Amino acid sequence: MFSTSTQRHFWMFKDETDVSNARLSANLKYISSRGKNMTVAERETHFLNATDEKSLIMSYEYQLRDFCRKFHPPMPRYVVGTALHYLKRFYVNNSVMDYPPKEILVTCVYLACKVEEFNVSMDQFVGNLKGDREKAATIILNNELLLMQQLDYQLTVHNPFRPLEGLMIDMKTRFPTFSDPERLRPGIDEFLEQVFYTDAILIYSPSQISLAAIIHSASTSKENVDEYITKILFSEDQKRLLNLIEAVKKIRVMVRNIQLPHRDTIKTLEKKLILCCNPDNNSESPAFKKRMKQSFDDEESFEDGQYPSASSEQVRSMLLGLSEMGKI
Amino acid sequence: MDDYQTCPKCKTTKYRNPAMVLMVNACGHALCESCVELLFAKGSGACPECKCPLRRNNFRVQLFEDPAVDKEVDIRKRILKEFNKRQEDFPTLREYNDYLEEVETIIFNLVFDIDPTNTNKMIDNYKKENKDITQKNRNRQSQEEMELEELLENEKAQQSEKANLYVNAELEEKKQKHKAREKLIDELMFSDADAKSIVASHVQATAALAKEQPKAAAQSGSAVVKSSKFSSGIQIGLRGQHTNSFLPIPKQEDLPLYRYIAPIFDYDGPPPPTIETLGKLNYFANIRAANVTERAGGYTEAMSCCRALQEAMGGLFYSPQSTHKTAVVTTIHSTQDTDDMETT
Repeated sequence: MFSTSTQRHFWMFKDETDVSNARLSANLKYISSRGKNMTVAERETHFLNATDEKSLIMSYEYQLRDFCRKFHPPMPRYVVGTALHYLKRFYVNNSVMDYPPKEILVTCVYLACKVEEFNVSMDQFVGNLKGDREKAATIILNNELLLMQQLDYQLTVHNPFRPLEGLMIDMKTRFPTFSDPERLRPGIDEFLEQVFYTDAILIYSPSQISLAAIIHSASTSKENVDEYITKILFSEDQKRLLNLIEAVKKIRVMVRNIQLPHRDTIKTLEKKLILCCNPDNNSESPAFKKRMKQSFDDEESFEDGQYPSASSEQVRSMLLGLSEMGKI
Repeated sequence: MDDYQTCPKCKTTKYRNPAMVLMVNACGHALCESCVELLFAKGSGACPECKCPLRRNNFRVQLFEDPAVDKEVDIRKRILKEFNKRQEDFPTLREYNDYLEEVETIIFNLVFDIDPTNTNKMIDNYKKENKDITQKNRNRQSQEEMELEELLENEKAQQSEKANLYVNAELEEKKQKHKAREKLIDELMFSDADAKSIVASHVQATAALAKEQPKAAAQSGSAVVKSSKFSSGIQIGLRGQHTNSFLPIPKQEDLPLYRYIAPIFDYDGPPPPTIETLGKLNYFANIRAANVTERAGGYTEAMSCCRALQEAMGGLFYSPQSTHKTAVVTTIHSTQDTDDMETT
């Protein structure tokens, strides 16, 4: 249940400013650690600021959606929801410059498939990616543990889809005057799609979000479901009704204010990202390759039959493969 | 093992014939049966090894591998027939031990042929002095032996009785079954009642009979009383010491009994209908019914319906708070004004 879940106890925010503050602090932490020797102005130009990061994340969320839409076998929407949740959570705690979003994106989807018991083998999964499959597989596997760690190993996510079904059933049973709630479905589905691009999932409970979806869809079709809410859901607790109404209002506002970032802005931001990103974690950079090679060499020195030593050929092919990553 | 023992006289015969029995004589030397016969057929009575005079009836079948052991056992038996005093005959333990030592010395001397004359004199002296005591002890021993024998016989008789009882009971059962079956057939043939009712009543009668049987058997079994004591007063087996006197189990003071308290679940929302009431409230009309395979696995539509409703209702009263680790500071302020909505 949501009320006893880790989602409620560890991953909720008070409002949008709260979320932005968290992102800001992550951003600043990265900048301060990397740009120790720069002046403020230099930092400004070199690094991305929090708003830039937000736009980038949004564009990557869209990319995730697209990836999942084209996924074969067809991915159920709760898996997509979970993956988006993970992505959001990861980048609340970490800066975009620190870990390359492309890699994290794929890892989120992979982990979400596992957690939501949507069984996809690694081969099937990387079959959906363009570019070198083996590299992608290695990347995903390397990042999986990192992702879980950043999520504090709290992997259960409560999505609004099941509460939505519950509300539908309840409406059909206890509110028969409203004929055929099924016609609200298309509006609901669209709303829910949009809500995942906002921070609403980090602020409000999933059942509130699904109720907001129903209300939104009803109002767009010029229907009124207020009677259902006041009479049936909240017949005993009138005061909490106000709380809910406000929550729903805010969610709808958030969805209405979504601004898809412009393509060109994204391109410039990405270029900037390549310059200022953390080379240790970006597998394209020479520093990363050097570090990987180093770790392999260290392993070789453990010899005496204790550790299986990667032969130098294996190491070379691994590095070659890694260098071509990024064309997902 | 038997092959290793060779008759010292004919040597070869023992190897070839494991069934050959070795006999021991009074001086402790072994001779195989055929050699013994041979020896006494000739009439002479001298041991082939030590040349001491022998008599035919002094040869006993060897019980022990080592003929020396057999010799000692024999001497011991003979001596103890004479020296049969017991601990009760002596006023102190010391004197009893002295007596025992004396007996052992005598036996030792006789076995190893040490100072035979003196030893024999000692024996004769003892015999003269303790004639009557020896006689009394001998009588007592024989009495005890007889008592033991009687008890053994009693036990045997009891066991055979029991066996007979069981056999009889079985025969009885068989007879009764046979009778009942015949009765059923007769009824079916000659009575006018409905066949099914006859069979039913018959089945009932046999069931009632079957219940009576074990009761009867138990009763007859208890008629054979087990004696717990020997006639001399000693308890049979270890029963008297342990079984009747277990320590009482330490009694605990009356602690409060465990009472089941159902866990209360807080939904943070309007309470959803319980799973039992879903059917009554007609929720199932709006949910896909379980198909046959699903129902076979134990799934009912009530389950998914209940789950969906719980998730829908749960969290509706939730108001935003900061629980994320980066925003710990603000949590303290926010919990204060929302605690009437708060749960845990």
